[in-house]
Amino acid sequence: MAKEGSGSILQFAPLQSSVDEGFWHRLSSLKLNKFGIDDSPIPISGFYAPCSHPQVSNHLTLLAESLLSDSNDESTMPSVIRGNRNRCSVPGILYNTNTMEGFHALDKQGLLKAEAMKIWEDIHSGKAVEDCAVLSRVLLISFADLKKWNFHYWFAFPALALDPPATLVDLRPASQWFTLEEAESVSTACNEWRNSSLTADVPFFLVSIGSDSHAAVRHLKDLEACQRDGQKLLFAFYDPCHLPNNPGWPLRNFLALISARWNLKTVRFLCYRENRGFADLNLSLVGEALITVQQGWREQQCVPNAVGWELNKGRKVPRCINLAKSMDPTRLAISAADLNLKLMRWRALPSLNLEILFSLKCLLLGAGTLGCQVARMLMAWGVRRITLLDNGRVAMSNPLRQSLYTLDDCHNGGDFKATAAVRSLQRIFPAVEAEGIVMAIPMPGHPVSSQEEKSVLEDCKRLNDLIDSHDVIFLLTDTRESRWLPTLLCANRNKITITAALGFDSFLVMRHGPGPFNSIPNLKAETEDSLAAGMDNLVLTNTDGQHRLGCYFCNDVVAPTDSTSNRTLDQQCTVTRPGLAPIASALAVELLVGILHHPNGIFAEAEIANSSSGGNFELPLGILPHQIRGSLPHFQQMTLLGHSSNSCTACCSTVVSEYRKRGMQFILQAINHPTYLEDVTGLTELMRSANSFQLDWDDDIEVADDECVKL
Amino acid sequence: MMDVLHWDGTLSAKDFRIGAFAFAQKWESRNLAFPPWSWLPCPKHPWLAPPKEEGYLSLEKICISRPNEEEDIDQISQIDTGEEETCCSGNEDVLDDATLVQSNHHELHYCDFQIVYSSTFRVPVLYFRAYCSDGRPLPLDEIEKELPACSSKELSKKKWTFITQEEHPYLKRPWYKLHPCGTAEWMKLLFLSDNANPKFEVVLELYLLSWFSVVGQVFGLRISFKISD
Repeated sequence: MAKEGSGSILQFAPLQSSVDEGFWHRLSSLKLNKFGIDDSPIPISGFYAPCSHPQVSNHLTLLAESLLSDSNDESTMPSVIRGNRNRCSVPGILYNTNTMEGFHALDKQGLLKAEAMKIWEDIHSGKAVEDCAVLSRVLLISFADLKKWNFHYWFAFPALALDPPATLVDLRPASQWFTLEEAESVSTACNEWRNSSLTADVPFFLVSIGSDSHAAVRHLKDLEACQRDGQKLLFAFYDPCHLPNNPGWPLRNFLALISARWNLKTVRFLCYRENRGFADLNLSLVGEALITVQQGWREQQCVPNAVGWELNKGRKVPRCINLAKSMDPTRLAISAADLNLKLMRWRALPSLNLEILFSLKCLLLGAGTLGCQVARMLMAWGVRRITLLDNGRVAMSNPLRQSLYTLDDCHNGGDFKATAAVRSLQRIFPAVEAEGIVMAIPMPGHPVSSQEEKSVLEDCKRLNDLIDSHDVIFLLTDTRESRWLPTLLCANRNKITITAALGFDSFLVMRHGPGPFNSIPNLKAETEDSLAAGMDNLVLTNTDGQHRLGCYFCNDVVAPTDSTSNRTLDQQCTVTRPGLAPIASALAVELLVGILHHPNGIFAEAEIANSSSGGNFELPLGILPHQIRGSLPHFQQMTLLGHSSNSCTACCSTVVSEYRKRGMQFILQAINHPTYLEDVTGLTELMRSANSFQLDWDDDIEVADDECVKL
Repeated sequence: MMDVLHWDGTLSAKDFRIGAFAFAQKWESRNLAFPPWSWLPCPKHPWLAPPKEEGYLSLEKICISRPNEEEDIDQISQIDTGEEETCCSGNEDVLDDATLVQSNHHELHYCDFQIVYSSTFRVPVLYFRAYCSDGRPLPLDEIEKELPACSSKELSKKKWTFITQEEHPYLKRPWYKLHPCGTAEWMKLLFLSDNANPKFEVVLELYLLSWFSVVGQVFGLRISFKISD
């Protein structure tokens, strides 16, 4: 469609910017590793190519290669072949500021003028004729916020403004302007130009057509020769724009060159556009422009006005792009971990419930050999909310066996384990929500003086609150008696509780059964009226001692007492075969995941490993045992089942109801009076009657190391 | 000569290169709707001679937007332009009479594809990333909106079309990829389900073509010819 001008202003379609993510990556890398706070201007190269699609304009693109290569960057990209047919390079400059204020304070007009000046000088010196790529320039201002990974930026494509502006006489598709023969010849000549590596990236050229309709493509510097030949002459340029009624931006500076250098008033131009890599003369335009003599244009000192700041959706504002998802290491770590688990679910375990793992809150009592390993295994399963409780400090021998600590944690007497462990977890996975609590667990058989009473009671209360606010509690301490109070509190609140205990060469991993007072979630009790809901229901199938699975203390006939004093040295410090803790910790976490995927959860019945079950399991994760006892000397493992005991000092209904009645006073009594628990549970009676049978298990109990577990 | 019956569905690195070139050739000769694939050599450290065999196929800037889409409102730039408008003075001559003011053109989404050899799985892997015309990268949930309607079903059903995000082995930036751990299995099935017992050279010639005819469906990239040709 021909556009008759007769004096209408020639309007150019502005260039549009496109910044490849790689550009921001490289800029960030340079800023962090090389430039630091130096904000001197940085040379860059933009790239563009002639339009290759009838409906979409080509953009001026910045890539990673647009910036000088970062010598610290290990992954060396092949250096870009400056100038190939799809990448005409545009020299440019980047002003990257160190602050947002600095970004806004940049003298945009001044910078634009400076770039325009460079073009103007190149026009007058003749450089633009020799190397026409300098007719287009790109100016970029930016502020890279490398904490939030926000990149604020604004492009300008400096164009010398003709004053008065050029007017359009005619504009039409090239195929309508050339004769058929001419068109064919022009296409051939242009395709040759585009296919030769010497000229493919030369964006401004001349097309001269002889009287024989033969077209030739010439360099700009051959203009005088072409004019002498008296042939039809068109000023051609690679036009990134696709619009049928407007030429693209690069024509502006081209006209400025033509006017200032050669003083032409009528300019016939060819907007060269392609389709599928070949000249497309339907898409390409031929037009005629009229340039009025500019006042003082032949003088170099008189610099014309420049325009060219890019609009952002029609507004005079900069653009912003956020790349946290692909650049923030923490975000990347999170998405990598998530995808890893999802991969497991997709390939092997479709019923894996990741949501429950992500939302779980785990409390680890003990941050030693067991605690460190359990924490790591939990994170591997996607658990993100972990609290570690320990009152000890990291000792010099610890880093070898306690996998969250290094030598650095041991200096100056050693950091608190709880805090060092949290730091370590955060270094492994920054998105973990880890908390460290430095606190001792009050223990029965370790009497407290009246001055200490208050703080001990506070500790008890604190422990109670911690247990309340977590979903799963791991008992990973190194004494038997330190497990008593947590077991009681967990039984009271029906929390999932997992115990791991180590002997010298054997281990026990078990899940505690539910507490004595509870209601099964999917029984009718739930749907009965609220009267029933408020009461402590002793539901038949969970009557104390009958079908309820036992806790760590259920099999004991002796209350936990002070086992730490009067022990020999090697019994005091935890000396176990190093392989045990990782094995036991891993099993403890796998056991937990099994509970979480069992429809009955804490109420799940116990299963025993059975060689005849083969590979077919009811549940995808396999069986859910109650206790796992392993022996290293035999490289063997057994699954066992133990029901709760009516006389259990930690979880029987007597003890729990005493605690519910008297609270902290009950605890205090148990702590201060060694035989109190046995009296309360009737164990004292039991022992007396058992003694009369003269069983010899007495000897075993006295000698028993609290960590050794009888197999 | 490899016996196809006992073939496990995988390729050696050398075979991948042969197969890749065969694929690129066939693509170019028959697929006029798309530009050709380029073979790019793997970048190596400057002190090592680049091995000639190692490389990958690249296809850039494929428009994946469906036509006549409503322009998406860019949430991020909206928020930011709100802040920044107050800071900008209107002194700058952004426009002059000779500048065409364009009405809002609708945002197009593009996709870059790469076919990279995985030495762990010994199969080709399709890497991709998508972005807007101004270069802003598109997250997976936005890409998925552009995929053909049946594709989301494919993604959940078929084991081999699982999308993961990983650091690109050469470009060191996160790209999405279709996870390859099922590829060998179904490639083997593809070739052995034919009653003919093809020679391995034929298998190699057609390997990437057949592979792409499956994985390309995720993006609605249909190859317009039959495998049996």
